[in-house]
Order: sequence, then C-alpha cells, then structure tokens
Amino acid sequence: MTEDALSIFRAETAEWLDLHCPTSQRQPIVREEQIWGGRRRVFPSDDARQWFEACRDKGYTAPDWPVAYGGAGLDAEQTKILKQEMSRLGCRPPLYCQGLWMLGPALLVYGSEDQKREHLGAICRGEIRWAQGYSEPSAGSDLANLKTKAEDCGDHFLVNGTKIWTTKADEADWIFCLVRTRDVAPKQAGISFLLIDMASEGVSTSPIPLISGDSEFCQTFFDNVRVPKSNLVGAINEGWAVAKELLNHERKMMAAFEGMLEKPAMELLELAHYALGVNADGRLADPELRSQIANHLMRETAIAQMGERIYKQGKAGQMDARLPLLMKYLGTSQAQVKDELILTALGGEGLSMDDESVAPAGVRKMVKQWAFNKSLTIAGGTSEVQLNIIAKRALGMTADGHRS
Amino acid sequence: MIVNQEQGMLRESVAQFFEEQSPVSRLREQRQRPVWESYDRELWSQMVDLGLTGITVPEAFNGLEFGWMGLGAVSQEAGRRLVASPLLSSVALAQNVLLNCASKRQIESYLPRLLSGEITASVALDEGRFSDPGAVLVTEQNGQVSGSKVRVLDASMSSLIFCVARRETGALGVAVVATNDESVSITPTRLMDLHGAAAITFAGVPADRIEWLDGVDVARGLEHAIDQATIVLAAEMMGGARETLERTVSYLNEREQFDVKLASFQALQHRCARLYCELELAESAVAAALIALDDPASRVSAQASTAKTLANDVFSLMTSEAVQLHGGMGVTDEMDIGLFLKRSRVCNQLLGSSSYHRDRYARLLAF
Repeated sequence: MTEDALSIFRAETAEWLDLHCPTSQRQPIVREEQIWGGRRRVFPSDDARQWFEACRDKGYTAPDWPVAYGGAGLDAEQTKILKQEMSRLGCRPPLYCQGLWMLGPALLVYGSEDQKREHLGAICRGEIRWAQGYSEPSAGSDLANLKTKAEDCGDHFLVNGTKIWTTKADEADWIFCLVRTRDVAPKQAGISFLLIDMASEGVSTSPIPLISGDSEFCQTFFDNVRVPKSNLVGAINEGWAVAKELLNHERKMMAAFEGMLEKPAMELLELAHYALGVNADGRLADPELRSQIANHLMRETAIAQMGERIYKQGKAGQMDARLPLLMKYLGTSQAQVKDELILTALGGEGLSMDDESVAPAGVRKMVKQWAFNKSLTIAGGTSEVQLNIIAKRALGMTADGHRS
Repeated sequence: MIVNQEQGMLRESVAQFFEEQSPVSRLREQRQRPVWESYDRELWSQMVDLGLTGITVPEAFNGLEFGWMGLGAVSQEAGRRLVASPLLSSVALAQNVLLNCASKRQIESYLPRLLSGEITASVALDEGRFSDPGAVLVTEQNGQVSGSKVRVLDASMSSLIFCVARRETGALGVAVVATNDESVSITPTRLMDLHGAAAITFAGVPADRIEWLDGVDVARGLEHAIDQATIVLAAEMMGGARETLERTVSYLNEREQFDVKLASFQALQHRCARLYCELELAESAVAAALIALDDPASRVSAQASTAKTLANDVFSLMTSEAVQLHGGMGVTDEMDIGLFLKRSRVCNQLLGSSSYHRDRYARLLAF
C-alpha cells in the first residue's frame, strides 16, 4: 500500500476504534476480565461484550486472517497500524485464545478447506476455546518422544494416553494434539496432528498446582477416545511439520509476552520508589538496585528495538533470518530479571503470596507473577533448546560429536 | 542495521578498502612507529580521499550527507579491523563539537580544512581516572586557560585542540588552541590497544591565542556532540565484537580435541549462542541510536547511554570469552584476539564506562 493509503487507513481505524471501544474497555486489562471465549464464555460486563462483538463483526479478533475465515484480511502494515492505534487509545485486546495465536496460523497453512471453514470462524467469533496438547510426562524438550497413541480404526482414530502442561485445558472446548500414529525411526516420522473435541467420551482434565499457588497448567487424559478421521490436519504421519509451524507462532507470542499480560499493580520504577524511597538528592535510595534497574530498562528497551529492527528488515527485504531465533530467549530471560528486581526491591513485603498482613493484594499478585514467570524460560521450548537452535542454525556450530 | 542503498554501497566499498589497506596486521606496524605517530598518515589521506571526513556533514557544508547510519557502518567496518585513524577523534568528536558549539563563521573557518584533511583536531575532555564530561577543572582565569587533560585521542597528530574548559562565568566552554602553542605541552602515549592518546598541560594559554567557540548554547551543544561521538564509538565496538565472535566460532569449527570439533560441545555452543544473543541485542540498541541521530527532533542522550553500556558490556564479555575459547593460543601475541581484548578495554573507558552510563541513564529518567 502507498503511504497515502496507509495514513487514510490509520485515520479510519482510529475513528472506528474511538467510536466502538467503550471507555471502560480502554482501561488496562486485568486477568479476571480477559475474554477467552468458548462454549462457556461469560462477559464481565455489557461494555466488554459490546467491544468484543464490535471487533468480532469487523474481523478485528484476527485482523490478519482472510475475511472468508472471519478475519479482517489486513496486510502486515495494516495489522501493525491497527495494533499501534489500539495501543495508543489503550483498547483492550478483544479476545485471548490459543486458537487465535497458535492453531489458527497453522491451520491457515496446513488445514483442509473444510477444517478452515469449520474451525477458523469459530475461533474468531470466540465460540470455541482451544488448548494445546503437545508435551507428555516423558516428552518435554524431547517432544518427538511422545507416546499418546492414535490407532487407525477405519472411520475413526482411537486415542489413548496423556498430555501435560495443557494450559487452561479445564476451561477449553477442543484440544489440538500431537499423537503417535506409527512406531518408526526417526520418531518424528510417526507423529500426526489431531483435533479433539474435549466433550468426547473418555477425555478428562485435572489442574496442576504450581509454585505460584495457581494452576494455569493441567494434565489431560485420553481413555479410548473416538476421533473422526476428518479431524486429522495435514497428512498422516506428517504432523511434525504442522507442530513446528505452530511452535514458531508460540515462540513469537511468548517473546511478546509482556504485551499480553495484565498490567501489574505498579511499573518497575514506581514499585522501586514505593519500596525503597529516595535519598536526600531525590534519587532512588539503593544505588545498587538503581544501577541494576537502569541496566534492566536499557536491555528491555533494546529487546523492543530488536523487534522493531526485525520488522523493518522484513519490510525492506533485508531480513536476517537469524534474528527471530533470539527473541524468545532474550525476551523471557529479561522478563525474569525484572521479576527478580521486583522481589529484591520488595524485601520483606515480597515474602508472601497470600497473607494480607504482609502486603496488599496488588503487590502479592506481583510476587505470584514472579513465581509463575519461572515457566517462561521452560514453556514453548526451554532456553537451552533455544540456545541449541541458535548455535546450530545461526552460528553453524556442528550439532553432533562426530568428526565432520 | 537497515541501510539505504547509498549507505549499503558505502559500507561495501569501505569494507573492501579496509580489507585491502588496513587489515588487523597493519595495526601491529604501530609498534615500529614513534609514539607520537598514532596512526598511518598515508592510510588517513586515503580515507579522506574516500570522503570519510564528510559522511554526516550536510551538503550545504560540502559533506556527503549520508547520515549517521552511514558513519555507523563505516565505524563498524573500521572496528572489525581495529583501524587506527582519527575517525573517532577528529571526525566523530571534534567535527561535531565544532558543528554543535561554534558560530556559523567559526564553522566556515574550520570545517573545510577538517573535511579536506588539511588539519585534524582533537577534543580534550577527560581529566581524571574516569571519563565524565561534567567534571571539568581546566579553567579560564583572567582570560588565560590553565590545567591538565588526559586521554586526548591522537592529540600529537592534530593541529588543533578543542579544550573543554570552565569559563570565568562558570559555564562550560570550548577553547580552540593550536597544538604548537608554546604554553601547551603534549605528552603522547601509546595505549595497550596500539592507538594513541596524549596528556596535555595548558600552562596559562593567553587570551589572544584562544578562540572560544561561540555558538548559541555551548553546554547543550557539547552534550549532544558527545552523545553523537559516543554512539559512533559504540558502532565501532560492535564491529570489533562481531569480528571477535566470527573468529571464535570459526576457530571452534576447525580445532579438534578428543577426536571431535570443539564446536560440537554443547557447553561451548551455548556460550557462543549467548554471546550472539548479546551481540544482536547491543547491535539493536546501537542501530536505534544511529537512526535517532538522523532525526534532529529526537533526544538521544538516553539512547546514547544505552548504546554505550550495551556495547561496553558485550565487547568486554565477547573478548574475554574469545580468549578463553581460543585456549592457549588466546593468550599468545601471535593471535589477533588479544588485540581485540585490549581495544575493548580502552573503548570501555572512552566517553564513559558502563557504570557512568547506567548512572547517567537513571538520572535522565529521574531515578
């Protein structure tokens, strides 16, 4: 698009957002008010429903998906403009959903026409909430070692096994799973990608209590679950390619994790002033933390600048394909640095997650976040796996121990 | 970095020029030169012929107007080969002190000579153990300038010194003094990176042999010029850090122990992968700062401090790790890695250490 057309689009978008986004939906999001959709969806307020429905009807829940599948058909530049304008006006994300971030983009590449029509629209409209079924108790970083079996029974598959770290699976309607459809070497060649309705007989889910005191992650069990053959995405035994496509989207999403989170009770600097106070010349009282906070803020800025650099390179056709590999590792590591700074600055006030007498609720929520965010460098490919990939693909260091 | 077509061509031609005329082996020739000769004059005159004195200078002043990304790209290529030249001292520092602090008349008097290579100038900034542009004891008293400066880059090769001094009013000023003035004594040293700097004593330089830069806001101009030079230095350091990583990875891909390539060990892969992450992170901050310099409306001080801190930290870490990963060879003078190690430590102290810039950044953000 020409610059002129883009600035017209920007003006129209701003006008549309201003007209349709109620004031209450321009407040920073809190976790309890995120709209996750699904069969059991509830809206915290009429405003929230109205904002969601306006976005849904405009295709703005999935702005860059084709109009035919419920999106708004925007190109990369338009999508960026929409996000910038939403962020400028403070509009809340209209829908949170794994279907939106992960399954959808993979279905657009690998799904059949019928699958795209059945599932993409339901995701955009917030009708179906998805969970991800990848890891298993004995298949974490070594994901290809997964054992959940889908047996070919003519017109259907019979699925047996278990999936772990299935985020919010206790609230999900469907789950996309990697399943074993044959035992071969290499292990990747016997994996298929299957969509399973969690209302099917034999599916059960139980939440896993975490160190944060919450249980965002679940374990899901499959006991002789019948799944129609039409729910296979891509060819049989070729699910690994679909999974990799999807993991790329998950890593991108996690690198930008900060933007998806609810706004903390206090930003880092605000919290540091609250906890530490200032000295006689008005500066943050603890010089060591002051220096560490400065260093963190610089690095956080640099990570955002790296994202911008990647975007601009793509636009200019000068893409360095190695850079996106680094974002997940850097983004998640730095998020944890920030959490540690928060905890350190809080001192005694940071030592309880649930006792009102130790700290107010907003502060305790940040302490819980510190504990939960330990999962950032584990989920979606551990930092160690990321470093393996970077060494191999970006630096060309040989992966095996043999003389080459 | 994202560069436009002109900047891309500039980078390519400069890379080729340095590769042919000034590979790292040329730096070693410094050891055969007298101490006052801090760079190779012949190489410098070739750089002038390529137009490298005028990359950021507006066309109105007969510059190339290729922008700061252009100068950043040239500095990176220089950093990759540890080129000793007045690119930092005279082009990035002195020229920008002139452009930001001088009157139009003064610019028209000095700039053409700096651009043509007829003269070079050095900025006398540091006085103490650490670089801190606010800590200035050299003062004007009864019209005379007295005091001492240290680490004045390439001063023994320059015709002019731009001496940062406290005016009688208490404000910061920039005194232009000729290096051959009889009240100025210059003691050149060769730092461990084989680049040259000098200690200078001003023993009451009389008023009639001083020209004070008299632009609109000298203190503000000086701060901006130092920010500009700091970002250019950070770009040079990124070149050095990138070269160091590439040399190290290629060494690990060749060297065999226990019958396998060293590059096949995960412990070493992860170290290199982390270094690469740090490198590109710093590069992103430096590139963003260079882009900000091209926009006259943007305030660059926080970005300059960010760029220098990240560049300092990654270049130090990279070169220390590189020495370790080269094993015994890493501590031999035969390998170039030691030269990158030393250059990184010198660059760290020039225009502000990480500790200085983290504190400055906090002050800029009011905490």
